[in-house]
Amino acid sequence: MRVLMLGWEYPPHISGGLGTACEGLTRSLAGRGIEIDFLVPKLYGEEDAPHMQLLGAASAAPMIQVPAPVAAPDPLAELIAAEPMLGTDPIVTAAAEAARSQAAQGSEPGVRVLRVPAMLKPYLDQATYRELITTGALQESALDEIAASQVMNPLPEPPHEISRLEHVHIPGDDLPFAEEAPTGAHYGDDLFAEVARYAMSATRRVHGQKYDLVHAHDWMTFPAGIEIARRAGAPLLVHVHSLEYDRAGRGADRDIVAVEHQGLENAARVIAVSYYTRGLINRVHNTPLDKISVVHNGVYARETIEAYTEQRTSTGPVVLFLGRVTFQKGPEYFVQAAARVLEHVPDAVFIMAGSGDMLPRMKALVEDLGIAESFRFPGFLRGAEVERAFSTADVYVMPSVSEPFGIAPLEAMSHDRPVIVSKQSGVSEVLRNALKVNFWDVDKIASQIVALLELPELRRVIIERAREEIRHIHWDAAAEKLVPIYESVLRG
Amino acid sequence: MPSVCFYFEVHQPYRLKPYGALQVGSDHEYFDEKLNAEVMRKVANKCYLPANESMLRLIDRTDGRFRISYAVTGVAIEQMKLYAPEVLDSFVRLAETGAVEFVAETYYHSLAALYDKDEYREQIDLELKLIKNEFGQTPRVFRNTEFIYNDEIGQFISDLGFEAMLIEGADDILDWRSPNFVYTVAGRETRLLTKNFKLSDDIAFRFSNQAWGEFPLTADKFAGWVHGHSGAGDVINLFMDYETFGEHQWKETGIFDFLEHLPELLFTHPDWDILTPSQVIDRYPALGELPFHRTVSWADEARDISAWRGNAMQQRALAEIYALGADIRRRNNSHLLALWRRLQTSDHFYYMATKSASDAEVHDYFSPYEGPYDAFIHYMNVMKDLNLSVLAPAQKQLRL
Repeated sequence: MRVLMLGWEYPPHISGGLGTACEGLTRSLAGRGIEIDFLVPKLYGEEDAPHMQLLGAASAAPMIQVPAPVAAPDPLAELIAAEPMLGTDPIVTAAAEAARSQAAQGSEPGVRVLRVPAMLKPYLDQATYRELITTGALQESALDEIAASQVMNPLPEPPHEISRLEHVHIPGDDLPFAEEAPTGAHYGDDLFAEVARYAMSATRRVHGQKYDLVHAHDWMTFPAGIEIARRAGAPLLVHVHSLEYDRAGRGADRDIVAVEHQGLENAARVIAVSYYTRGLINRVHNTPLDKISVVHNGVYARETIEAYTEQRTSTGPVVLFLGRVTFQKGPEYFVQAAARVLEHVPDAVFIMAGSGDMLPRMKALVEDLGIAESFRFPGFLRGAEVERAFSTADVYVMPSVSEPFGIAPLEAMSHDRPVIVSKQSGVSEVLRNALKVNFWDVDKIASQIVALLELPELRRVIIERAREEIRHIHWDAAAEKLVPIYESVLRG
Repeated sequence: MPSVCFYFEVHQPYRLKPYGALQVGSDHEYFDEKLNAEVMRKVANKCYLPANESMLRLIDRTDGRFRISYAVTGVAIEQMKLYAPEVLDSFVRLAETGAVEFVAETYYHSLAALYDKDEYREQIDLELKLIKNEFGQTPRVFRNTEFIYNDEIGQFISDLGFEAMLIEGADDILDWRSPNFVYTVAGRETRLLTKNFKLSDDIAFRFSNQAWGEFPLTADKFAGWVHGHSGAGDVINLFMDYETFGEHQWKETGIFDFLEHLPELLFTHPDWDILTPSQVIDRYPALGELPFHRTVSWADEARDISAWRGNAMQQRALAEIYALGADIRRRNNSHLLALWRRLQTSDHFYYMATKSASDAEVHDYFSPYEGPYDAFIHYMNVMKDLNLSVLAPAQKQLRL
């Protein structure tokens, strides 16, 4: 079975759980003999993906610059250089990559990552996108690629869905910045134009390829998914990792909701990452429940890095929040709970790791509450810093207001950390060995934190059992559930 | 002439309310009165009242040849008085038939046998007084909390003067022996009646299980299985939770119809009758000693005490509550003593169990909390408040 997957990011350059999820899922699917072309809008050249094959964009390969570290020449860059056109000889390169990956780690061949330049990244909203354009934060080189690809390879016909999308979503008077984009005028000054443009480039990128299924992850890939599936005559699966409602609540962007809706309508089947999300899709979009299948995310268990536990700098117990500091993640409930915990455990230290639009407000809030001395704001962490944060924490708290799944608690558990998760999260459906709270129940969150800090037996039993539990929340289990869904969709 | 011996367990704990760390120091009401009232009324309507009616009718219809026995814990009787006094009235009516024997227990359904023998004896004495007062009987037979038994417990009970104990007929203990005979406590004359767990669980656990090969279980079929033991045993001991009737097995499963027809069908075989535990030991001689190489209970697959102290949380909670014993008894405050004893009820620790698979389902079924961790947290917070707000200030006063 050959599947085209449309994703948004890939480790280590990730801004949230989506990249981790895509990595886990593709690995396990590849292990089950599913052949996957994985399309991502941007590629940094440092991905740890020995199970995948990386190919340059068909149209613009010579212009692509992969910023690989000088000290460690990147085999992926070589591949890209060696494979200017997708489809010229994929078998040869697949074999080459298979040999390479088996030599490296014995990982599964069968997945190729296809790169399509685009100024998109996960969790973009219109305001952030506009900011990126106006500040020039999107690299010029990437912009050049896009421009080049559009000039060099005009589509043989304008895709019907895309033009409609542009028509619907190009904003009017309500967007005062629309005429101000000084650097990005020729790339599209609103997010939806870029999404549409991506749909075009992606469609062109896989032109002529044959796929049994098109599997699109989250809203920004939906227009591309719809168009590619239509041209290929293949059924579309849309995979919902989060809804606009999760990210923004009542402040949801109606245009984004509309794109989500279009994807859900055009899909032969919808995959939700939890029953929580399945219910939400049904309520927000009226998608019939029997069209939505639940495939919970997994985690790759790892060895705990004990060394970090000795490097602790603070004296008191450490309580960790790690995630985007946005409405969705409920950071203010963490701060409020911290204030109550400190009444009982005065030497506790609270770390709020992550960046996001609510960060300044959170900093102000801890000042107002007079608990700034007990708080640390290390900013956005990546790679080893994340590992270190988990390893030095005594408790991990995820007080999300609306969390379709939430992989971070599983990561914390794989570091032998006890976790508190909100019941408004998909991950709470699959966990027995976590403490579960309603995100708004600040007293309960505080009480559970105090309990975990004060009762060593509680910690011990939770950690021991969680260690066993996460071994069963594995990506293979997700793939095992997904393959029959693929098959049933193919049968019609 | 072989016999069937029925025994039913009647117990309701005082469940703790969800008690968070922030309540410590300010909230000294530990029990969930609303929930406890609700459960008592629910179980009264679904089980106690209709089941007692059935029992009364059957005793009447068979001229007292249908006989049964109960252990009703002190904490269950207290809550009947509080929330459903008509239930206690109907037990009194059952006692008056002369066909019903009340078996002794610990008043608080506690694990004192494993932690504090003085306390254990006192809780047994309290229960004996209660049964005398409520039902006018002096029990000759004892059954320990959840059938927890080992040689030491057997000998302790024997030394208190009980003539028999009801216990679990665990396979590895019985070994080659049949559960359908009377045995004695190791080194004592006190008799042991061992539960026939196969036939007991056919009713208590499997009755409504549609995946079971014998489903549906009719009274006729079950009586046939009992009669099949003719000549191969003296007594079939059918021991189970009373809530089997109407609570664990809902009325809709036909459990009451089953009960209604079973006695007469058992009597269709002229050799068989139905006896209470005391009548069993009066009629049948003991076959020999039954030594125990481990502590047994009737809980979970393992039929050991891991249901109450299988993990570190349970062990900590138990250690804490029993560590208070000397201090609390010295204060001679009846309210405080009762509070301490209600916190000893085994259910609190049962809710903290971290079992897997089918055991976990049973624990979850009984637990009023969201899981073992909450059960432990609530309990330990209550203990903290008890130490901080009740015991510590009192100590200060004493020093003054």
